[in-house]
Amino acid sequence: MEVLGQVWDFFATSMMRGGMYSLMAVGLALVFGVMNIANFAHGEFYMLGAFFGYFILSATSKLGLPAFLPPIICIAGAGLCVALVAGIIERTSFRALRKRSKGQWLMNTFLLTLGISIILQNGSRIVWGGRYRGVTRMWKGDFLNSLLDYSLPPDRLIAFLIAVLSIGGFVLFLNKTTTGRAIRAVSQDEVGASLVGINLGFIHTLVFSLSGLLAGIAGASLLSVTPASSFMGTMPLYKSWFVLILVGMGSIGGSIVGGLILGFLETFATTYLSVYLGSGSSEFVCLAVIITILLIKPNGIFGKSVKSAVE
Amino acid sequence: MLRVENLDVAYGHLQILRQVNMNINNGEIVAILGANGAGKTTLLKSVMGLLPPKAGKVFYRGEDVTGRAPFELSRLGIAFVPEERNIFQAMTVEDNLLLGAYFVKDKAKIRSNLKEVYEMFPRLEERRKQLAGTMSGGERQMLAIGRGLMSKPHLIILDEPSMGLSPTNVLIVFQTIKTLTSQEVTIVIVEQNVDATLNVASRAYVMEHGAVVMEGSSQELSQNDYVKKMYLGQS
Repeated sequence: MEVLGQVWDFFATSMMRGGMYSLMAVGLALVFGVMNIANFAHGEFYMLGAFFGYFILSATSKLGLPAFLPPIICIAGAGLCVALVAGIIERTSFRALRKRSKGQWLMNTFLLTLGISIILQNGSRIVWGGRYRGVTRMWKGDFLNSLLDYSLPPDRLIAFLIAVLSIGGFVLFLNKTTTGRAIRAVSQDEVGASLVGINLGFIHTLVFSLSGLLAGIAGASLLSVTPASSFMGTMPLYKSWFVLILVGMGSIGGSIVGGLILGFLETFATTYLSVYLGSGSSEFVCLAVIITILLIKPNGIFGKSVKSAVE
Repeated sequence: MLRVENLDVAYGHLQILRQVNMNINNGEIVAILGANGAGKTTLLKSVMGLLPPKAGKVFYRGEDVTGRAPFELSRLGIAFVPEERNIFQAMTVEDNLLLGAYFVKDKAKIRSNLKEVYEMFPRLEERRKQLAGTMSGGERQMLAIGRGLMSKPHLIILDEPSMGLSPTNVLIVFQTIKTLTSQEVTIVIVEQNVDATLNVASRAYVMEHGAVVMEGSSQELSQNDYVKKMYLGQS
């Protein structure tokens, strides 16, 4: 059973990482596709999600609720809190900038997101201190215990499940609802969208909040794997940019696949190659693959010339 | 219906419109004629809230709407079909049309509007599942007009509807405009195709260098010597 256990372990880890990268990358792609902003504060939404999740979890677990409830409240609550923060950030910074000038938009917003990232990192450090806040496990009970004679903590599989559900719900929202259709419309033609009566300001805030929601969910669901700390957002940020470069900027369908590819690549590298390449093997392998893809297909695997956030 | 009072519009220091006055009554078809660079599109864009005016006012149904955002004007019942079409290229024809009724809440009304648009442009129904970006220029123009009609506007503003179209499609577009007259909708049309436009319009304004230089009924204008010489190529 040892080998089977390893295979399971490999898959569970890959799916969990991949799912979370997808969750992060989808939000990043959405903001890029709709608002034309390269958001370098996206990792801080992940960090805030982890912190909010930690506080909500420690508060709710004292209430004596059924065991499955606190983690659910924690993840949903963290997502919503981050969505609110993201919405406030959009209203106060990007909207203000948009009103003043749209010149050099991509560059100016990039700098703005860098600034926001620094403020959030250090602000959280001041407020919450430098201590790591994590939990050993979120979901009680062992999964697949009797089935495989191999004990697998459920956190990772459930994290993957949460990623699937969130992304699935999000894709349905984009494709099946009027508001979702409006978001796609704004990503394709802002003038056309405003002419049919779509309030651009509302859509922009909504989109930024949604990306915050997804990142917050990611941060909170991985609380038992990566504890909350002020500077934890950098890695997931870089990873989600890897995904976007890999699949092509602004493609949401591509980001989902890309996240999973990256998850598998990374886990493969850490599990099987770190013996030869050292502890940095996962970064090495990911970057090597990305460089190769950029050499062959500079627009990314799913890159296209028509600008659209959703396929 | 629509009244423009002493409108001044400038791009930076470059003044485009000077003291433009216009009055469009309910149910009329009014044409705005003029050469390239006369300021026709600028006028429409600033009426529609896409360009903020420097001075002057725009009234719609007696209400001052100067400087309102395009989406608000659209919700008040003005449909603007821009020269660039601005359709949603990566979406199907039907999704484009449904977005035209974005702020219509009544599902049954959306369905009946969609049916009407399909009756007007059977070509769009044939291509309803096709991506808008893969259609020809004429079909895109049909789609842009159809999308504008989906919200049952009171006022529809068409900017160069025949531009870049083949002669057959130009004919289709002008026939569509004629059929619109029976639907109690006010139409403002900007065109360089002066002959055909004067045929469908009841009244027209002639713009030159950012100002209105002439106005009158289509009949009068097509008899006018200056218009004949400058715009109709008759001497």
